[in-house]
Amino acid sequence: MKLAQFIAIAPELILSLAIVMQLLLIALKRSQHGIAFFTMSAILLALFAHYPAMTQVNSAVTPLIYVDVFSLTLKVLILSCTLVAVWVSYGYLRSAVEFHDEYYVLLLLAVLGANILVLANHFAAVFLGFELLSLSLVGMIGYLHLRQHTLEAGFKYLILSATASSIMLLGMAFVYGATGELSLAYQVPGQQNLRLLGQAGLVLIMVGFSFKLSLVPFHTWTPDVYQGAPMPVTLLLATVSKAAMFAILVKFWLVSAIFNNETLQVLLLSIAIASMLLGNLLALTQKNIKRLLAYSSIAHMGYLIIVLAIQSQQSVAWALKSGVFYILVYILATLILMIYLAGRSKAHGVHDQDDWRDWQGMIWRRPAHGACLILALLSLAGIPLTAGFIGKFYLFTVAIENQLWGAIAALIIGSGIGLYYYLSIIFCILAKPPVTQCQTVAVSGGSFTISHTTVMAMLTVIIIALGVFPDILASQLMFQSEQIPIIFNEAALKSEW
Amino acid sequence: MILTNIIAILMLVALVSLIIGSKFSRSLPYLAAGSVVLCFFLLARFASNNHDIFHQAMPLLSVPWITSLGIDYATFIDSLSFILVALTLILALVCILVSVNEIQHHHNFYYFNLLTALAGIIGVFAAADLFLFFFFWEVMLLPMTALIAIWGHENRRYAAIKFFIFTQVSSLLMLVAIIIMAFIHQQQFGEISFNYFDWQRLNLSMPLQYWLMLGFFIAFAVKLPSFPFHTWLPDAHTQAPTAGSVLLAGVLLKTGAYGLMRFVLPLFEQATVEFAPIAIALGVISIIYGAVMAFAQSDFKRLVAYSSISHMGFVTLALFSFSSIAYHGAIVTIVAHGLSSAALFSMAGILYQRLHTRELSKMGGLFASAPRMGGMLLVFVAAAFGMPGLLNFVGEFMTLTGTFASHPVATVLAATAMIGSAIYGMYLFQGSFQGKPHAGVQIADLLAHEWLLCGLLFALLLYLGLFPQSLLMHFEAIYPAANITVTGGKL
Repeated sequence: MKLAQFIAIAPELILSLAIVMQLLLIALKRSQHGIAFFTMSAILLALFAHYPAMTQVNSAVTPLIYVDVFSLTLKVLILSCTLVAVWVSYGYLRSAVEFHDEYYVLLLLAVLGANILVLANHFAAVFLGFELLSLSLVGMIGYLHLRQHTLEAGFKYLILSATASSIMLLGMAFVYGATGELSLAYQVPGQQNLRLLGQAGLVLIMVGFSFKLSLVPFHTWTPDVYQGAPMPVTLLLATVSKAAMFAILVKFWLVSAIFNNETLQVLLLSIAIASMLLGNLLALTQKNIKRLLAYSSIAHMGYLIIVLAIQSQQSVAWALKSGVFYILVYILATLILMIYLAGRSKAHGVHDQDDWRDWQGMIWRRPAHGACLILALLSLAGIPLTAGFIGKFYLFTVAIENQLWGAIAALIIGSGIGLYYYLSIIFCILAKPPVTQCQTVAVSGGSFTISHTTVMAMLTVIIIALGVFPDILASQLMFQSEQIPIIFNEAALKSEW
Repeated sequence: MILTNIIAILMLVALVSLIIGSKFSRSLPYLAAGSVVLCFFLLARFASNNHDIFHQAMPLLSVPWITSLGIDYATFIDSLSFILVALTLILALVCILVSVNEIQHHHNFYYFNLLTALAGIIGVFAAADLFLFFFFWEVMLLPMTALIAIWGHENRRYAAIKFFIFTQVSSLLMLVAIIIMAFIHQQQFGEISFNYFDWQRLNLSMPLQYWLMLGFFIAFAVKLPSFPFHTWLPDAHTQAPTAGSVLLAGVLLKTGAYGLMRFVLPLFEQATVEFAPIAIALGVISIIYGAVMAFAQSDFKRLVAYSSISHMGFVTLALFSFSSIAYHGAIVTIVAHGLSSAALFSMAGILYQRLHTRELSKMGGLFASAPRMGGMLLVFVAAAFGMPGLLNFVGEFMTLTGTFASHPVATVLAATAMIGSAIYGMYLFQGSFQGKPHAGVQIADLLAHEWLLCGLLFALLLYLGLFPQSLLMHFEAIYPAANITVTGGKL
């Protein structure tokens, strides 16, 4: 291995090193604050390590890993989310008596898994990242084991996630059996005669990814796990895990040009449409904001995977740009909501403060928080002035360019249904404050500090800025991933033969 | 720049009143009214300096916005937008006047919403870029929903959600049509464009044109509202605060009519000709249905709301008959209905403040204690049912005259609604002001600011009713009216 290759994967090396150092630190001195700050600085360092890594784009590091602009962008997004997650966890766990060193180790392991997933170019790396992410998340979801729902959620996630992994593994074996190749570029596009075995393998792999992205019909775990997990872990699940799985799904889909495969295209579209409709319908009656966000995440992932249903190579760059923009916007809005929730809850509480009816009249009591939450919800609903609308606009352009009329209809209907519950929450925030005695107890708990407000306000400003001037970011998102065109060119050559 | 300046002034004042308004909530109405008057003054000065705007569309400020998609911040003005912006500003003043005593809490946020809604509406009339148009289309929606949801009456949340979902879903259909148009422009001219003037060069094949036209038509028909898409309107109007109802009836419905005139008719000529029978049927159904429903209401505001459906049906009828007289009739009806329905909703608000009810059965005999208010209400009711001498008569007369040549049956059916409107108008007036007074019901007569707003609206209705030419002379040269008759006749 050359030095250049080490630079290319420097962030991951830093993370791995940090995990070992964490263990040493725990052996040396147990401290609430020390480990949190160490973790935070390790992530910051990994973030900065992306600058040198930028120079090494479009290079393969061993057959397992391929570094390109797309994965670097997603990695920066993932690490930034993790930064927020660590900071939120620190506030959340601080109040407890016992030490929580192992929590931070699990957190870094999960992020390392996510990073490997994003970089993966080989089914072995995919599986490695997938398992690393899932197993650490299982530990984190069940972390507050004294709570009523937490252990249940942990077990649910463990069993279902293990099932999904094994199904995916079987799928990989099938693909290997059909092609004799374990790289993501296992098949030469254009030569569309994967046998039934290979086709079945692809479908099984899709099942694994759909499970993690909580797409219908593999979504049933989502609300329970979201609700049962401690709030910062829910945040991690909703942002880091989703972004990583989206990245690997995109690579899996594009590198081997699976979109040329009619059957899988239909499968993907039906999954997307079902997710949009079902996710939004199920969210309608939720009173628990975590469950509601879980269902709405199902719908949003359904919207998102429209970008994969492209018809030709010309659409790839635009579709990738739209997809990354959309997931970024989704993550921003989710972060605002979840930071607020995490700030209001504590680790040693009986449960998190997650009934949105408690938010009644918030805009009049705490205008700043209320405004941030309203804008985040509007962004999730895709209303102009917020970045959510631009994201949805991009999705519409992709869908129209590729003439996916069914998906467009579902997108419109889904958004219409979604409006109902987002608006209900917004009107609740705008309603008259309730007049009860226990209100102060209900809402003033938790570790909410001025820094929570600041971060929420900053994220809200980003949402508005992207909503009004999307070009400041969108013009930067240029994915001239050379990897994909190369494979296409090969395909063109092969098909000429 | 002029329209951008107006939007900027309104947004700025809105922000100022939101941020520091809670300290001096008493003087907020003055601030808001001052800004609206300033905007009106700017507009008037601009109009007197540029007589050209009355002849053809005049592009105003244009700066690149989202370059990757060829989206510009582009505005323009022509006499249609000019008249509608002027109407908006006049009704803005009315809205502020009726809010003075009505709004009891959160003044700063209220005026913020009111002014941003106005800015959004003016943006809709000003946009030359369809993405911008859509953007403003939604921007006016949000504060409007907040007005209903926060300061509305007892059932406000339901009404606000219904209003928002109806308009949002229908406008997503329009968004899809807009994006398709932009892609078609890319196919035909090589670059993606959302510009209205670029789109006029497009050559659309028939089935596609029909579908695109439907996407736009549904969005505008919901706003208008036309018959099958009207159900949000009675709820929203009834539950909104007075200023919200005035704004909804006076201007927001006009954005639907504006959309039909600006986009549906000129961009999709062939498809509209094919679609005309359906649209005219919808228009006639709206006219009759609205009148019949209005007649059965016992709630003051609900009655006026249904009468709006009826009046806006005339606009649909006029626009899809492709005759230039009817087209002019539609413009007059838009202005007339804007003024008269605003007046009626203001009366409803004034009565509600005194009686705390909208039920006609709980009113009655108010003439004894408030004769001046009764007189004003009678005038506005007369305007609404088309009394000659007031503006509404001119609009309806021109519409019916213009449509009779091509659609005699539809015209005859529509004309029956004139009788209906007289019946519900008198029903409204008699129910509230005549008859035996309820025991102990004494209400104060019009206050100074209420005089001002009633006088303003009455003067406009009367002046324009007597001299409709002052409105119509701006439209002789422009539009398509002449042009579309030819194509419409030939196709």
